[in-house]
Amino acid sequence: MADTNKTKSHKWEMVIDLDRCTGCEACVVACHAENNIRISGEDEASEGRAINWIRIERYWEGEYPNVQTRFMPVLCQHCDDAPCEPVCPVYASYHTPEGLNAQVYNRCIGVRYCGNNCPYTARQFNWFDPHWDPPLEEQLNPDVTVRQNGIMEKCTFCVQRIRAGKEQAEKEGRPVRDGDIIPACVQTCPTSALVFGDRHDPESRVSQLARQDRAFHLLESQGTHPAITYLKRIA
Amino acid sequence: MNVGRRTLFKLAGAATAGSIIPGCKKEVDRLVPYLLPDDQIVPGVANWYASVCGECAAGCGILVRVMEGRAKKIEGNPDHPVNHGKLCAKGQASLQSLYNPDRLRHPFQREGPRGAGTFVPLKWEEGLQRLAQVLRDGRVPPMMVTRPVSGTLARLLSEFMDSMGGTLYFYAPDAELPLHAAWRESMGGDGAPVYDLAHADYLLSFGAPFLEHWLSPVAMGIAFGQMRQGRATVRGRYVHIEPRMSVTAANADQWLPIRPGSEGMLALGIGQLILDAHRSTAHGQEFERFHRFYGSVRLDEVEHVTGLSREVIVRLAQDFDAARAPVAIGGGSACSQTNGTLSLISINGLNALAHHLGRAPIAQGWCHDEARDDRSIPWLTEQMMFELAEKQDAGAGPVLLLYGCNPLFTMPRAVPIKTLFEQASFVVSFSSFLDETSEYADLLLPDRDALESWGDHVVENPAQTMGLSQPVVTPLYETQQIGDTILELSRRLNLGHGQSKTFYDLLRGRWKTVLADQPHTQTADWFEPEWIELLQQGGLWREPSQAAGPVNFAPSRAFEQARFVGEEPDYPFVLHPYASMALGHGEGANRPWLQELPDTLTTVVWGSWVEVNPRTAKDLGITHGDVVRVISPFGTLTASTVLFPGIHPDVVAMPLGQGHASYGRYAKNRGVNPAELLAPALDSMTGTLAAGATRVRIERTGEKRRLATLERPTMEPSDLIAIDRR
Ligand code: SF4
Ligand code: SF4
Ligand code: SF4
Repeated sequence: MADTNKTKSHKWEMVIDLDRCTGCEACVVACHAENNIRISGEDEASEGRAINWIRIERYWEGEYPNVQTRFMPVLCQHCDDAPCEPVCPVYASYHTPEGLNAQVYNRCIGVRYCGNNCPYTARQFNWFDPHWDPPLEEQLNPDVTVRQNGIMEKCTFCVQRIRAGKEQAEKEGRPVRDGDIIPACVQTCPTSALVFGDRHDPESRVSQLARQDRAFHLLESQGTHPAITYLKRIA
Repeated sequence: MNVGRRTLFKLAGAATAGSIIPGCKKEVDRLVPYLLPDDQIVPGVANWYASVCGECAAGCGILVRVMEGRAKKIEGNPDHPVNHGKLCAKGQASLQSLYNPDRLRHPFQREGPRGAGTFVPLKWEEGLQRLAQVLRDGRVPPMMVTRPVSGTLARLLSEFMDSMGGTLYFYAPDAELPLHAAWRESMGGDGAPVYDLAHADYLLSFGAPFLEHWLSPVAMGIAFGQMRQGRATVRGRYVHIEPRMSVTAANADQWLPIRPGSEGMLALGIGQLILDAHRSTAHGQEFERFHRFYGSVRLDEVEHVTGLSREVIVRLAQDFDAARAPVAIGGGSACSQTNGTLSLISINGLNALAHHLGRAPIAQGWCHDEARDDRSIPWLTEQMMFELAEKQDAGAGPVLLLYGCNPLFTMPRAVPIKTLFEQASFVVSFSSFLDETSEYADLLLPDRDALESWGDHVVENPAQTMGLSQPVVTPLYETQQIGDTILELSRRLNLGHGQSKTFYDLLRGRWKTVLADQPHTQTADWFEPEWIELLQQGGLWREPSQAAGPVNFAPSRAFEQARFVGEEPDYPFVLHPYASMALGHGEGANRPWLQELPDTLTTVVWGSWVEVNPRTAKDLGITHGDVVRVISPFGTLTASTVLFPGIHPDVVAMPLGQGHASYGRYAKNRGVNPAELLAPALDSMTGTLAAGATRVRIERTGEKRRLATLERPTMEPSDLIAIDRR
């Protein structure tokens, strides 16, 4: 790794092992619960307007009886060269020094250029104000903003957890350790298909896994340089 | 138990931290033992409470993040030996049970005719008085039907019913009684099946949905991840046999579609081939029973009945036999046939056989050392419904007490469950929601949510887990824990075991007895600090022991073929109803997160559908989105067609879970309930419903209805996957 000054700079990345992912979708609900993702309802969902920051894509291969299915969790790829960033007229979509593709909600004016330019369909637009039938709103996470109509949103790598992890380490006067910061989807994943960590730390689990032979990136040819490394499913 | 408990904790804790999820400990926030009083709540600071997930019988340990008195997020308890910090989608969504807008907030009594669903509010005092009165006046002993419970609540309920001369039954649509009945005959002993997938190198599943909702899905998911990628040199192979490719089956290296009900037959063939291969050594008394059971079948018959070629069957046998640590698991659709138990004996017998041939023991039965009060409680089967319905006249039946189940929704209409309700002299429900069954009650005495309740949960696993649940928030409404309601009734009826004032006292008392048998300090107040530590920890467990009971293959009957209801010319397809991963048998349908969770294989949200093989659809002249009538000898439903490449052409599948006529705003009047189509076919040995034994036909309606799906036509999925195939 280029940067060895690990107490100072981080580069947050994720590895997704497709040989482990079972399509159980625990990650999807965990993300909704953690990040105040609104409930869309059947009508909006049938318009394709339901919001999921992480989704499980399913591919059928072959024909009966020799059919095979593949699952692929897809979330914002936090690209180093993110196609969504340069097209935003108000710089709402920007890159943080730690490698996160971030969305500044109060800058966003809802032109949706970023969403159209994202090759992974990771960005989702709020076509209406969110609503929770009381008392469902009691569950909302106070650490995460509720997004209103006209705003673009997407996976943040659970930035609130990154912040909390760093603050805690600082309070204890030590560097952030591998495993201190765990996004909600990673936390719950029963098979440990999802692993999160600092690529600037060559010993972190995420760095070790990303060096495996099975590693690949989605749509590599587009030159987006994603922060998510997939590990191929075997067979 | 003879190891000091403190040592136990250390051992168990160290084992978890080292092996599975590093750094999951909640150091940032405080793990507190009891609900904090208002004046001790610090604004903006999160407290974490350990408890037990109440969404299924697996009993995963949870930690709940609470801020300013509100539960915000549920995560797995990293120290818990069942789920090691992980949770399934249902567990993650359980906050939407606590904060569900449609919860019953106080007692109600019926107004108008029974079943009309009109109720008026009532005070607790009046409700308890009323129930005590009807129990006192009852001419026949009362009957209670509950979801399976364990620990202190199981003991209380069974003592309560005993003291009134009544009967307590367990009922759960996913109980898989054939699996447990078969276990006794195929593996011997009274233990609960535990499959150590993490150490298997060859997994042969006959229909078991172990990655969705079967037995202990999170534990299975963790083990599956390890079986695939957790070992440096071994990657376990996995073959799945089932008429339809489930989400679980989609993870197999190979999925083999088979004719419904022929799973046991295939296992017979495999067993016979393995015995043949060991002809020179596999004889003597030990193998006698295997020869008798597996030798009863002809291989060409196996080919004919299963629809698999000889070559495939031989290869399965060879691969199973060649493995160092093979395991055969059966459940789900293999259980839901008229020969369910016999199929399971045949399937599990392969493990017994492998054991005798010296293979590593992956399938083992575990018993708990502590007395299990729930073990002796009978299950309410569909067969018993028929027997009970014959006994009484209308209104002369027992007082019926219902808790934690919805049999009027989950049992087929063709089973006389409704009769039981019509005959009952009085019906009381302790349900937290108004569902199809509680709509039929005379009195509603709503239970608290699991996250507002005290309790314990015994799990039969190698770690001998006893989970502790505690309220993580102040109860939202005027509800009462069922344990407290029962204790109050006992007092009013002078039944003698109402000495404990509250269920909490009873629970504490029981745990004090458990802990008293173990080494502890001899001070007078030894219990309090131990109790606090247990609450913080989430329960009591020990280091997993190695030894399981001996294996004894002793089937009481020979194999039988499955039978189906409906003549083939009129009803050419076998209906394959399956529990939805998110909604289960319907209990998840009132959680908006679960309704909006795309079904992994079809990506449908908020709805019902029928899965048809594309070839079959072509023959029928229907296509994706066409609304069809599904007609069985017992009913008709309409739903949209989904072309599903992973299903046998002679089978059509429908997910269970939708089709509620009640159960709150998110569930009501949405989709259809396939249970309405089912014939009252029963497993020949346990008398439980054979849900996969009904034939149907499909008719076009000419209508088209677009299903709400996540998969959008604008996405070009081939792009994303192209890289993976490279
Ligand atoms: S990292 Fe956080 S925000 Fe992103 S998908 Fe996972 S849970 Fe959602
Ligand atoms: S929780 Fe893990 S295994 Fe389940 S779908 Fe998500 S990534 Fe896959
Ligand atoms: S398997 Fe899921 S629903 Fe069952 S106890 Fe565990 S988390 Fe809860």
